[in-house]
Amino acid sequence: MTSDVEHLSTAGRSLLDRRSFLSNSATALGSIALTQLLGSDQLLGSEVKTPKIDPARPYAPRQPHFPARAKNVVVIFCAGAVSQLETWDYKPELIKWDNKPLPGGPAVTFQGPAGNLARPQYEFRQRGETGKWVSDMIPHLAELTDDFAFVHSLTSTSNTHGPAENFLSTGFVLDGFPSLGSWVTYALGSESQELPAYIAIPDPRGVPQNGSNNWGAGFLPAAFQGTTMTASDPVRHLAAPGVSSKADKAARSLLQRMNERHLEQHPGDGKLAARIASYELAARMQLSVPEISDLSTEPEHILKLYGADDVENKNKAGFARNCILARRLIERGVRFVQLFNGAYASGGKLNWDGHNALKEQYDVHAEVLDQPAAALIRDLKQRGLLEDTLVVWCTEFGRMPFFQKGAKGRDHNPDGFTCWMTGAGVMPGVSHGTTDEFGQKAIENVHPLYHFNATILHLLGLDYEALSFEHNGIQRRLTNVEGKLIPEILA
Amino acid sequence: MPKYLGLLILSILAVPGNLRAEPIDFVRDVRPIFEAHCYDCHSGEEAESGLRLDVKSAAFKGGDNHGPDIVAGKPDESPLIHFVRTDNEDELMPPGERLPEDDIATLTRWIVEGAVWPDGVDTVELADRMDHWSFKPVQADEDAELTIDDFVDRRLNEAGLNRAAPATHVEWLRRVTFDMTGLPPTPEEVAEFRKHPDYEAVVERLLASPRYGERWAQHWLDVVRYADTHGFEVNTERPNAWPYRDYVIQAFNEDVPYDRFIREQIVGDALGEDAATGFLVTASVLLPGQIGKDEPSKRLARQDSLDEIVNNIGQTFLGLSIGCARCHDHKFDPISARDYYAMQAFVAGVEYADRPLNTPEAQKQRRELAKLKTRLKEVEAELAAFTPFVGNGAERPMVNARTNVERIRPTSAKRLRFTVLATNRLEPCIDELEVFDPDGNNVALASSGTKVTASGEIQVANRHDLTYLNDGTYGNSSSWMSNEKGGGWVILEFPADVVVDRVVWGRDRLGKYDDRLAIDYRIEIDPGDGTWVPIADASDRRKFDDAAKTPPFSTDGLPVEEQIAAKALLEEEQQLKKRIASSEGAQLVFAGKFREPDTIYLLNRGDPEQPGDVVPAAVLSSFDSLELPVDAAEQKRRMALADWIARPDNPLTARVMVNRIWQGHFGIGLVETSSDFGRSGATPTHPELLDWLATKFVENDWSIKQMHRLIVLSQTYRQSSAVDDPAAVAQDADVRLLWRFPSRRLEGEAIRDSMLAVSGELNLKMYGRGYNLFDKRGGLTGFEPVETFKIDGLRRMIYAHKVRREREAVFGAFDCPDGGQSAARRRESTTPIQALNLFNSKFTLDRADAMADRVQKEVGEDVQDQIVRCYELAFARTPEAIELADAEEVVLEYGLPVLCRVLFNCNEFLVMP
Repeated sequence: MTSDVEHLSTAGRSLLDRRSFLSNSATALGSIALTQLLGSDQLLGSEVKTPKIDPARPYAPRQPHFPARAKNVVVIFCAGAVSQLETWDYKPELIKWDNKPLPGGPAVTFQGPAGNLARPQYEFRQRGETGKWVSDMIPHLAELTDDFAFVHSLTSTSNTHGPAENFLSTGFVLDGFPSLGSWVTYALGSESQELPAYIAIPDPRGVPQNGSNNWGAGFLPAAFQGTTMTASDPVRHLAAPGVSSKADKAARSLLQRMNERHLEQHPGDGKLAARIASYELAARMQLSVPEISDLSTEPEHILKLYGADDVENKNKAGFARNCILARRLIERGVRFVQLFNGAYASGGKLNWDGHNALKEQYDVHAEVLDQPAAALIRDLKQRGLLEDTLVVWCTEFGRMPFFQKGAKGRDHNPDGFTCWMTGAGVMPGVSHGTTDEFGQKAIENVHPLYHFNATILHLLGLDYEALSFEHNGIQRRLTNVEGKLIPEILA
Repeated sequence: MPKYLGLLILSILAVPGNLRAEPIDFVRDVRPIFEAHCYDCHSGEEAESGLRLDVKSAAFKGGDNHGPDIVAGKPDESPLIHFVRTDNEDELMPPGERLPEDDIATLTRWIVEGAVWPDGVDTVELADRMDHWSFKPVQADEDAELTIDDFVDRRLNEAGLNRAAPATHVEWLRRVTFDMTGLPPTPEEVAEFRKHPDYEAVVERLLASPRYGERWAQHWLDVVRYADTHGFEVNTERPNAWPYRDYVIQAFNEDVPYDRFIREQIVGDALGEDAATGFLVTASVLLPGQIGKDEPSKRLARQDSLDEIVNNIGQTFLGLSIGCARCHDHKFDPISARDYYAMQAFVAGVEYADRPLNTPEAQKQRRELAKLKTRLKEVEAELAAFTPFVGNGAERPMVNARTNVERIRPTSAKRLRFTVLATNRLEPCIDELEVFDPDGNNVALASSGTKVTASGEIQVANRHDLTYLNDGTYGNSSSWMSNEKGGGWVILEFPADVVVDRVVWGRDRLGKYDDRLAIDYRIEIDPGDGTWVPIADASDRRKFDDAAKTPPFSTDGLPVEEQIAAKALLEEEQQLKKRIASSEGAQLVFAGKFREPDTIYLLNRGDPEQPGDVVPAAVLSSFDSLELPVDAAEQKRRMALADWIARPDNPLTARVMVNRIWQGHFGIGLVETSSDFGRSGATPTHPELLDWLATKFVENDWSIKQMHRLIVLSQTYRQSSAVDDPAAVAQDADVRLLWRFPSRRLEGEAIRDSMLAVSGELNLKMYGRGYNLFDKRGGLTGFEPVETFKIDGLRRMIYAHKVRREREAVFGAFDCPDGGQSAARRRESTTPIQALNLFNSKFTLDRADAMADRVQKEVGEDVQDQIVRCYELAFARTPEAIELADAEEVVLEYGLPVLCRVLFNCNEFLVMP
């Protein structure tokens, strides 16, 4: 290496090394690797439903099965089970029946004995042109409901957070199945070659209830596992601690030379070339990840819009910064961003699991969620990113119309709850499906979460039945054998 | 079915024309309707909802979702009629299309007339699902001279290809050493082999090495998805899982015959191998507190946990996805839903729980432990007696919420008064006030006639009452609470004069509550003359501090002779605690508890709320007719199942295992889908070889080590891995025909272990509780990775405490399974995250420093010598001149650790040649 490139950054130096390698290397296959790694795979047409992943370029963009309405996804995942009755599913009957027992209601639910019916803990009012009834708990998001497509009649197959978050994220209640994001990146790769294809952003208060199961790759190749980062915690191992940049550069280029010599002696081994290329990509990530999570370039009015400047409420500011990070990732072509709101089990203190003091706790959580999430949607929209981006708001199940006995909170309810989506390909202003008069059970257009996930895949141009992976004798899908579209919410 | 349907049918039947018509003929009248409207979806192997209307037996059996679709003579009970008539758009068949009324009438009348479907008229036949290679008996070539290479060469020749030239000695040595032990050969082993290339001797050395079991146990643990936490949301530690991990390592090292290995894992409790049944309960499970309180939640959770056991047995030993038949008959394999539940019945008495090990050692250990605990109690009681006297001149310990002792010289008393002068918070609470005479009798007890009065009290039913002060019961829920914040008094009046030498009191001796504690107080006695004489107060105690912990026992303030005795007791106490800690739990293993089996029902659509017939334990009915009585004893059930699986003539068992062994060596099995030998699994690339190996396996008493010998000493295994045959690449890029050795990247565990081996730090301690990869061993969330590893943390990765679904921070990205679902085979992916982890992690930098130290110690300060040694350690070779020069430049400028860091990241280090 000549000294005139010493001033280059590690990655720049490395790229230069790369170019000189490409021009000098005697091994044809080695020289193909980088271009392949960066080029998109045009061979996979719509007739090929199971993507064949070349280990050398797992993130290369791949064609969807049919023209996609959405290119990328932001999922706002509210851990702990947000009550549909305090947010989107207006049940005036509950006001009349407040503090009366539910006729024929269950004596015992998940956590124990049931108490009396309880009115919505927030006032509701009509919003926008659709006149959608939304609660005052979330005033900012409420302003946007003309753009949302609600599904009020979702059901889950578990009433326990762990299995139910598994079910929401992977389509199975058991541990170990691939998450939605890993299915999507497995199928589609990513537009960005300098950032991980799938990024999970935990809440500033902590990791969600079901932890990494929500972004695990299960039995899909490890390349499709979500990488975690937040606006304050970057990706792990971006730099070697305590190593001078000079020594680091020297190590990197020595490694490259050694690997190249080794490849020359083992020509034709694609795996070796792929490994060399992976160090190349890593070097790029070392540059681009710190850059993407550096919000100092964001103007004042954007920080304000999201509430990232809120010095009074650190959790809100933290979540707001995560929301800005999500937008930046989408801007850079990251395929799948999962933004968590709510942390682990904590008696409802750190997430939406309002068993005992629902109103008191939701006051706190709503403030963290509302303005930043609404700002994210507005910001995506004003930048035109919502044309290509699907935004999904979801939670693992809902809550009961009655309080728990001796408490001021609601128990788990998997039989009827609300999630919504907005953005690319979504019919704005739709409210689909209904629950009974108390909001306990879905009764009309009932949709197990499978259907919700199937619809997300569909919007991405993926055939949810064809997208599958053989594991131990079973052709596995995100939607198992229960996939079905919800056409009513499609534009 | 709607009630009015019956009426409708009657009205149709009442039409005179219908009554007079001649009987319906299936072939003439019915089948054409089926053909025209139904066969698009309901015929052939992959019929919708499993309902076929093209074959008589299948049609009468019905689909997945209902009972029989056609009930002869009863149209109003036949779903077939319901679905063509219904007004529900979602249910109507054919979807979105209503059959002509005439057709519906014909179908209805056909059923009324008995649904006659003559035999022999069907144009297609049901495929025989047993007609599948792996369900047929193993058939081996009898030619005694055959070798593995003959089979491989035969296939290569058919394809016009040839086996590659042999690998070099050192390549083979590196390959076989990684393969058998998961570690690189040492430079000394390399030198020895160069001198005496005795292949068999190397294989024997490797098979005899304990490192072998550590390597191959990992393959097994992948399949059974072993982990040290319970999984799911709460992911609690499973602290006694590791004895099963150790059992597997030991079984491989001892070459336990595979048929026995199977039996031990299913019914080891009957075979003196308790830890082995850990196999049954390796899955994630919801603990009781995590399951809903409602009955359906409990039933579902139990079903899920039984399902995991059946899956594990089916996948692991038989290569069958039996679990697919939980909701409906298997789509491809001859496994009915009834078969599935019959399998559940074998294990219906298994609970996910710890079980005491029943080995003689464990029993002895338990007896020892009981003795130690008894002795500890005695020592603690003796120590408690060594309390400094009140007013001895030295500071007494501060008051605490548990137990406070006031030791005085024996004094006669008629009454005793305890006055609270201050509390840490709120009204004072005392759970028990005890007064002892020199013989150790508590003379304060109400039962001995002592009466109690107080300044006041707050009564709470079953919790606070003045009479609880001296009722002999400890704890907050049996205590006196004053009605005055920070003050109050109680007086004990003894039935007669007593001699007092000790007063003992506490706030909550059961350890829950720390508030309401008297931090300033005075104790007085009335010798019988009505005056109050102070005997103790807080003035000579250490000043109370809420944040301070209860101080440890101290000999301060004791008389000298008591100090000596107390010190001896203290020492004994510490020793006892250490010994108890080290043997506690050592006799427990998370290997399932066995109890009266649940009654197993055939569940409609797998729904525990829709139970059907009771199903007795039985093996897969298409394979064999073994069925147990419904009330068969628990252990007998598992024994029967184990015996059936381990039968030498079971067509699947030996094949599945030899294929796993082959996969361990070549990275991919002869059957690619190593846990699916069913009809949707892959067909073997070399069926004759597979059967030959299976036969040899059984012939050699199911010796796994013997299979290793056969394989690694073959010419096929000895081939070069070079990609130098373009014709072969074009024809068989995946190397399934084995025209070269398929090289592959080391697994995450092998990379970590190998780094430690070459850095000279590998701790070879075997067995026992796992070391930590994270800051906690289980729990909801937020696992912070350990970054600096010492001593135990430098053991092989199989001894790490495996937190389910939390992949290790550096090596997890190298495709380590997360313990959620079974990993039949490691996939090999290449990602930039791997590169970041391996290049930048503290683990790598620490190993690089250690390796540099080691090399400096071994060869001194000469940089070229150092580089040569590094190459020998990492690559089993010396550097070429250009490599030496290149490395030297870097080492001279940046130091040896930089080179070591690079070596760990080199393809040459990471790829098994």
